[in-house]
Amino acid sequence: METKNNWKAWLYLAPMLLLMSVFTFYPLINAFIISFYKGFRPLQNSIEGFTLLGNYLLILRNPLFWNAMKNTFVIAFISVPVSIFLSLAIAVGLKSIPKLNKFFQTIFFLPYVTNSIAVGMAFAVMFHKNYGLINAILERLGFAGRIDWIGGTSSWWTQMVALLIFTVWESLAFKILVFTSGMQNIDKQYYDAAKIDSASKWTVFRRITVPLLSPIILYISITSMIGALKAYNSVIGLFGIKLGNPSNSMITIVAFVYKYRAELASPGYYSYAAASAIILFIITVVFSLIQGVVSKKRVHY
Amino acid sequence: MDIKMVNLTKIFTSKNRKEVQAVSHVDLTIPSGKLIGLLGPSGCGKSTTLYLIAGLLKQNEGQIFFGDDEVSEMPPEKRGIGLVFQNYALYPHFTVRENILFPLQNLHVPKEEAKTRTYDMAKLVGLEEMLDRKPKELSGGQQQRVAIARALVKKPRVLLLDEPLSNLDARLRLQTREEIKRIQRETGITTVFVTHDQEEAMSISDEIVVMKDGVIQQMGQPQDVYDHPDNLFVAKFLGSPQINVFDSTIEAGKVLIDGMAIGATELPDQKVIIGIRPEGLQVDKTKTSPFKFEIDLVETIGRDTTLIIEVTSEESTLLDKKTFKAIVDAENRIKPKDVIHFVVKPEKMHIFGLDGNRL
Amino acid sequence: MSDVFVINEKAYRAKKILSNVASYAFLTLVAVIILVPFYWMLLTSLKSQLLMEEIPPLLWLKPSQWQLSNYSSLFALVQSGPRAGSPLFPFFTYLRNTVVVSIITTAGTTITTILAAYAFARLNFKGRDVVFAILLGTMMVPGEIFILTNFLTIAKLGLYTWDQTYGQVLIAMTVPFMTSVFYTFYLRQTFKQIPNELYYAAKVDGTSDFGYLLRVMIPVASPTIVTIIILNSMGAWSAYVWPAMVTMKDEYRLVSNGLRGAFTDTGSGRTDFGQQMAAATLVTVPLLILFFTFRKQIMRGVSRSGIKG
Repeated sequence: METKNNWKAWLYLAPMLLLMSVFTFYPLINAFIISFYKGFRPLQNSIEGFTLLGNYLLILRNPLFWNAMKNTFVIAFISVPVSIFLSLAIAVGLKSIPKLNKFFQTIFFLPYVTNSIAVGMAFAVMFHKNYGLINAILERLGFAGRIDWIGGTSSWWTQMVALLIFTVWESLAFKILVFTSGMQNIDKQYYDAAKIDSASKWTVFRRITVPLLSPIILYISITSMIGALKAYNSVIGLFGIKLGNPSNSMITIVAFVYKYRAELASPGYYSYAAASAIILFIITVVFSLIQGVVSKKRVHY
Repeated sequence: MDIKMVNLTKIFTSKNRKEVQAVSHVDLTIPSGKLIGLLGPSGCGKSTTLYLIAGLLKQNEGQIFFGDDEVSEMPPEKRGIGLVFQNYALYPHFTVRENILFPLQNLHVPKEEAKTRTYDMAKLVGLEEMLDRKPKELSGGQQQRVAIARALVKKPRVLLLDEPLSNLDARLRLQTREEIKRIQRETGITTVFVTHDQEEAMSISDEIVVMKDGVIQQMGQPQDVYDHPDNLFVAKFLGSPQINVFDSTIEAGKVLIDGMAIGATELPDQKVIIGIRPEGLQVDKTKTSPFKFEIDLVETIGRDTTLIIEVTSEESTLLDKKTFKAIVDAENRIKPKDVIHFVVKPEKMHIFGLDGNRL
Repeated sequence: MSDVFVINEKAYRAKKILSNVASYAFLTLVAVIILVPFYWMLLTSLKSQLLMEEIPPLLWLKPSQWQLSNYSSLFALVQSGPRAGSPLFPFFTYLRNTVVVSIITTAGTTITTILAAYAFARLNFKGRDVVFAILLGTMMVPGEIFILTNFLTIAKLGLYTWDQTYGQVLIAMTVPFMTSVFYTFYLRQTFKQIPNELYYAAKVDGTSDFGYLLRVMIPVASPTIVTIIILNSMGAWSAYVWPAMVTMKDEYRLVSNGLRGAFTDTGSGRTDFGQQMAAATLVTVPLLILFFTFRKQIMRGVSRSGIKG
């Protein structure tokens, strides 16, 4: 229909746009404004003036922020490649078996539909020094000394390993599903042709599956990278609100935002929260831009 | 109810802001109770014309009347039209019954009446047994008939069909063609049928309208248009195999192709274009005609033999193509390499000026 | 010749079987790793304090050793500390809150999403593509940015006070989340696949735009809409940050923050893993039930969202 029903269309959009103006667009602009406040007291709604970069500089000088940056980037740069590689391998495995695909797929999808906090707590029990499954298995395998993974005497390294294992476990589900359905969309005749050309399984994977899947792989890499940069619930689930041992040793950027947000009574802290959230936003934008550039150059069929 | 279009014009603006006249100043009256085939190559504006009649597109200029009633500014639902789409556009989640019933519900027809009318309509198209099926459980031809029933159930003033047969296989197409003809006869509704298939249009229509580039080329009874094409485009568009077209000259009342006289005319001397229907070329058993060729290919199908002649001469007088065709009686028993003398049936020869218009 | 062929055939079959065995072994190992945390959760929740503290830990329990006391103790009243007098983990209260919030949010999201997707997919209006691009752009913005101001908005509206009512909590928890750009995008794709002719046919048949939406678009797109409803309802189960932020009283919490809160606030004493895992199991099971009921829709919806972006 080509009649221009302008006002009608806006009527249909009104509920969404109205809600989004209040809860999306205004907060987005306001976050920038808050990050420029000096001495902002959110409950009294009073400020002592403005500063252009003052809050940002304070954050960049805060060692806790750099700790959060370090943890966040370690999580993102290790868990994302590992989970992508594993889920690709699993998806290939799923494709190669003649039976039980649905059964395995369903099991592999379970972590997606569970709750980070609940499962994080279960992982915390599994990593417990004395009562945990992990140490019990290691002991069976002959590693005598029980490691304190996440308890009172644990180190940053062991805690990070535990967090990475949990993060990878959690993030496999989505990727396996997406890669599996991506592979189903690859025309079977390529595989038949490869068979006739007597290509090995590894060659087929490297030369056919991965290139044909490359748009999806890239998309998943970037979205899960951005997702991993926002890690928070998994940390809370595994370590509780103390965020590790000693406190805050496992802090992430998002956790940093919420930590300062919670200090409503301290003047200026809300602005730190806003400024750090905006830094996170800028980092995600950079990653999205990289995706744009890379997908133009590298993704091919 | 006749349909009258006055100076009807529709302009589309493409993405790069180029304006295209899809329908250009069309004046056309479709007589009441007739089945009209709107015919032309793709992009000629025939579907646009149909959508303008339906009110799904709005004209830039001109008027449309149903009888004395001007409908130019009416929304489609007020015009009282039934429309059958190329892909039928049946509501996939409704049963056949619900699909046919749907327009009546929108018109708030009383329930009992709507029920009877739905059943009667299903019966008219021969689907009264299928009322509770979903569209995807029907064959293409059956879906087509549901679409027709849905279009007709609200007793529209005119019925519009947009390439209704193009999604059917060849055999079904023939059947459905007859079916549409029958339904139209039984209901007596003014019907416009859009198609790009000249054979389909010729066989089904009371009259055909040939369009090209948004302009009407010719209107008339199918055989009349075939026998007396107004221009070269119409001559070429109708008929299969296509009409043979030659460069030609008229000298002293004789029509000459490559110096060979093939017929007579009263037209003054000039350069012209000659169209000869393949069935207009007849074997000259006396072998006196100067119009002679060596035959390259012979295709015999039942009663008819198609002779295919390749013209090798550098200065070929044949337009567009390298070959021309003649359809002759199979009794002639012609073989490739035979040299055949042709005579041209005067009524199958058409003379056009160099601008393509009939002289 | 035929000999060679037979030998090759045998070797080929052996290789095929071997690779199948390897695949199954690998996938089974992964399946075990995926399932173990659930098993450990359930196992720990069934252990008595005594069995819990056994070293090395018991890897399974005989049915006779199963203990439900961890579950019943969740509902016992806390003796001291800030939460004294209330149950340790009032699961059914949290469950009710979660279900209510989930229903309200989903109803709101579904309505706004359908209307907006319809406008974007079917109606022509000035600025459509610009608005749509802006909306898509907001998907890139981390939610943390919105939350900061949204909390202040909720507080300014008087929804976050010491004497906060249940109604106020529900508004605070649901209204900000009644839109979804992602689902709008997803549904718009489905709407766009419905052929134009259907819309024209409905016009000719005398339907209004809104009638067409209700009677044709929504029924035809119902599989996608059902998927959106299911995926969206599950969101409330994992919502942690926002519900924790805007609820003043313990009894208003949702399962996620209730769960974490119950085992962080407990003032003194050892962490009781049995109770923790009992609570975690209670939170996990309803989600798993939901998943197995709607397995097809959920997996289809999620995989599409991944491929189409």
